[in-house]
Amino acid sequence: MIVTAMRTLLSHYRRHPGQLLMLLLGLWVASALWSGVQAINASARDSYARAESLFTQNLDSLTRRDGAPLSRETYIELRRSGLEVSPLLEGEVESAEGVRLNILGIDPLTLPDDSGFASAGSGEALVAFMTPPYQTRLAPDTLKALGLARQDAANARPQLENGRRLPPLVLTPNLPPDTLLMDIAAASRLLETQGTFTRLVARPGEISDVPEALLLTPAATLVSPGQLTESFHLNLTALALLALVVGLFIVQAALGLALEQRLGMLRTLRALGVPGRTLVGLLALELLLLGGAGALLGIVSGVWLAQALLPDVAATLGSLYGAGVAAELSLPWHYWLGGLGVTLGGLFIAGTGVLWRAGRLSVLGLGQAQAWRAGFHRQLRTMSIAGALGGLMALGLWLWLTRLPAGEGLLAGFGLVTMLLLASALCLPPLLALMLAGLARLAKKRPLAQWALADLQLQLPRLALAMMALLIALSANLGVSSMVGGFRLTFLDWLDQRLAAELYLQPAPEYFEEINDWLLARPEVAETLPTSSAEATLLEALPANGSARTLTLAVSVFGITPGERLRAHWPLLNTLVGRDAAWAAITAGQALINEQLAIAQGIAPGDRLKLSSPTGPQTLQVVGVYPDYGNPRGEVALATSQLTKRFAAPPSSLGIVLHAGANTISVQNALVEHFGRREAATGVETLTDQQEVKRIATDIFERTFSITRALNALTLGVAALALLATLLAQSRERRRQLAPLWALGVTRSRLAGLQLSQLCGAALVTALLAVPLGIALTACLVSVINVAAFGWRLPLHLFPGEILLTVGVAVGVAALAALLPVLSLWRTPPRELLSQFEAT
Amino acid sequence: MLKFHQVHKAYTTPQGPLRVLDGVDMDLEKGQSLALMGESGSGKSTLLHLAAGLDLPDAGKITFQGISIATLDEPGRARLRRQSLGLVFQQFHLVPSLNASDNLRLQARLAGRENPSWTRHLVERLGLTGLERRYPEQLSGGQQQRLAIGRALAPRPALLLADEPTGNLDETSAKDVLTLMLELVQESGSALLLVTHSPQVAAPLDRCLKLTRGHLAEPTA
Ligand SMILES: Nc1ncnc2c1ncn2[C@@H]1O[C@H](COP(=O)(O)OP(=O)(O)OP(=O)(O)O)[C@@H](O)[C@H]1O
Ligand SMILES: [Mg+2]
Repeated sequence: MIVTAMRTLLSHYRRHPGQLLMLLLGLWVASALWSGVQAINASARDSYARAESLFTQNLDSLTRRDGAPLSRETYIELRRSGLEVSPLLEGEVESAEGVRLNILGIDPLTLPDDSGFASAGSGEALVAFMTPPYQTRLAPDTLKALGLARQDAANARPQLENGRRLPPLVLTPNLPPDTLLMDIAAASRLLETQGTFTRLVARPGEISDVPEALLLTPAATLVSPGQLTESFHLNLTALALLALVVGLFIVQAALGLALEQRLGMLRTLRALGVPGRTLVGLLALELLLLGGAGALLGIVSGVWLAQALLPDVAATLGSLYGAGVAAELSLPWHYWLGGLGVTLGGLFIAGTGVLWRAGRLSVLGLGQAQAWRAGFHRQLRTMSIAGALGGLMALGLWLWLTRLPAGEGLLAGFGLVTMLLLASALCLPPLLALMLAGLARLAKKRPLAQWALADLQLQLPRLALAMMALLIALSANLGVSSMVGGFRLTFLDWLDQRLAAELYLQPAPEYFEEINDWLLARPEVAETLPTSSAEATLLEALPANGSARTLTLAVSVFGITPGERLRAHWPLLNTLVGRDAAWAAITAGQALINEQLAIAQGIAPGDRLKLSSPTGPQTLQVVGVYPDYGNPRGEVALATSQLTKRFAAPPSSLGIVLHAGANTISVQNALVEHFGRREAATGVETLTDQQEVKRIATDIFERTFSITRALNALTLGVAALALLATLLAQSRERRRQLAPLWALGVTRSRLAGLQLSQLCGAALVTALLAVPLGIALTACLVSVINVAAFGWRLPLHLFPGEILLTVGVAVGVAALAALLPVLSLWRTPPRELLSQFEAT
Repeated sequence: MLKFHQVHKAYTTPQGPLRVLDGVDMDLEKGQSLALMGESGSGKSTLLHLAAGLDLPDAGKITFQGISIATLDEPGRARLRRQSLGLVFQQFHLVPSLNASDNLRLQARLAGRENPSWTRHLVERLGLTGLERRYPEQLSGGQQQRLAIGRALAPRPALLLADEPTGNLDETSAKDVLTLMLELVQESGSALLLVTHSPQVAAPLDRCLKLTRGHLAEPTA
């Protein structure tokens, strides 16, 4: 019985392959996007875990204040004074394949033993690591950069671009991508550093007295890449979830249709003696089979999608957060199960409603499609109630979130966005039904229009889901594109702020004065803007009215030159007593802080800060807050002259501001001519044109959001497919409904036109609703999600052109989706219409 | 074999309860054929649905082969239909996605009692030879009707319930189909409960009862 019943149920798809295709398509798209993004996340997480397992993350480190390498003598001196420091040598080499690889040279004997250097091992392995010909430890996925296959890897000695050969290779899977670990002696030879080191590391807390010339960076100030990039991955996940939901909308629509058209069959089977429970079980089995096939297809193409997107993602994460991510996928086993689970879970959520209704209908009730559809009115009421409740919940969440301290509530923020989208989607069908009923009353005098409206009302139960999917996709599209657009404007502003001068230069410390004086004497140069930076600990925040708060927060201190040019380009969000007064106070030694620090610590202009410095604690008054794009850390800005004096940080770079109309090239040439010929390195080779930096930065920015845009466009595509699939799946039935009109004397082209305007009208209404929803979404993204994720608020920008385009796309998508069924109607020969007329 | 004892059935309508069956008594013996007549809307289909266990009476008792249908749960009633009943509906209810051959064998397969020689015999006798590959929508009304009869008889059910099986046919085809059905019922040894409003159709059957105002009675003329 079971086999026959199952075969009978499935025979439906043999006669309606379109519905099967639509089901598989929905499942496929949903799970492909979802599993693609999860593949990217899993892969990136694997890279972070490997980076974090590397000891350099958990150790305090000492570097020279002037950035020069540390000498062997300094190291020996420190060791003699009893400090347990260990030398590190870091550098870059280029492989013969042209890939840049990080070299990390260590001294395993002095490295703190609890720092997790398990890879060197002990005894014989340690001897092999430390003695010629040494070893190169690397992760298997780094082999590709060296042009090697895994089976040829062991003990190979690949040649580098500069002709040198690496020590024999040994595979160590838990190393970060593109990192070569070796003994410090081998690294020194490869990098030709003549025995100098880049850093000295020690167990956290080991070093208390830092020698004058050295800078201590505690391990605690290093934020792990996993933490930093969390919000990025959350964003990706949210977009993938959106695609999953839209995909499931298609699935639900397809399932509903496939079941509705099989109601007669279900009734017949039950009348012939198949128990209702068995039928529901069989339908669930059918779902499972379809789900399995769709998920499998989806996961395979998801992996493919991830492979295509990963290089961009890796570049983004590298440029935004400096986090290294392998450009090759590495997927743990639970990834595959997870993908399958999510797809099947989603399918069951989409399917249970349908199954439950099928199971509840009595045998005799099954035959009546009306009984099936009569539920729609009740559904509309439930939808409006659920939608209103969802809206209220979103409002509550919003109120709660505005009270939350910054940097918290990211998940709740996404919850808010989800709630907002769902609530609006739920309200859409009741709203459409209401509008249609109203319009139909208005159109009493025009029979054809009235028919079209009434007919659209009848189609609503089926169209509702596709329209909901369209609404979600459209508003998400609007929201995300406004956010990215706003991001872009803010970013360009920020670039202007940070790159106010025409040319930038990082002179060698001993030549700094000379170059600066020489530049100021040039007629083309209006002013120079020296900058410098230091690390400090924020010890205390003293509010203008209130008691002091003790803190230990690592912040960066940035030195700026508040010259005329910089003042014009440096935006201030909030000042104590106006812009000009703020700049005067800066020159006099007060400070600005970035928005991140202001929001995170609740510091306002007028408060005073106590900062640690090599010359003893420094107290500064905050006179203003400035926006700081994409910086994860708190920053305090001072005049460079003050920073040099009070934080013992020499100027590190020099901005060169030219008079209007001055020739950039001639200044560049003169500078290189004058200083470039010196024996010693003066640093003029670091001269860069601001334009060039901006171009590179903008390129990186575009890459950052290319994935967001791609996923977003895909979601809209999926929604279009949902609409098309829904229309195609019922086109045969539609023709049957149109046939009587044709028989009554309405021409086929007229009918086609009616159909087209029905759908475009519905899509237009949906798109118009998507506009305010999209704006609300943008507001959530910039003022809730962004603050929670990055600690700073993005100004709300709206782009009317973009909005118009989205509305246009929606109508276009609907027209396109309607066109196919309409064409098929238009091409149906009258004879066939007649036979369908008789069949009614 | 099939017994109705004081069966009551009412439907709830917006105008209040509609009492369709109001104390129906009926008895059908093994191998016997009974015609059920009555005006449109008198409750014939309702009675048939109750006999098939598709619906349950409000009061009274229906037994089939000595078992009270009301004591069976839903799967039990489904089993009864699958194993012992054949149903021919007013509107055929063929499965549109199965071809004629699969439709004909559907119930026999569900019951696990497919008998190839009997099926072949049915196809031949019902004049469906050559139409096996067609789908229901590609058959004429009479062909669909014969296919529905074939589907019900293929598992050789103990009882065949037929609801105006000839209602959609012209007079001559109706007569042909009916004669054929009676012959086949005889061949398969089934009992028959046939709903019709035509005295001509009722005439060749063993007995005839008429449903009026919720009660069954011998037809007056
Ligand atoms: N589900 C229902 N709900 C309410 N009333 C119903 C329902 N089904 C049938 N009826 C009513 O019960 C009465 C008997 O219906 P039934 O279908 O049994 O009549 P019938 O004798 O088979 O008529 P016909 O010869 O036209 O097929 C009719 O008046 C009908 O309107
Ligand atoms: Mg009837």
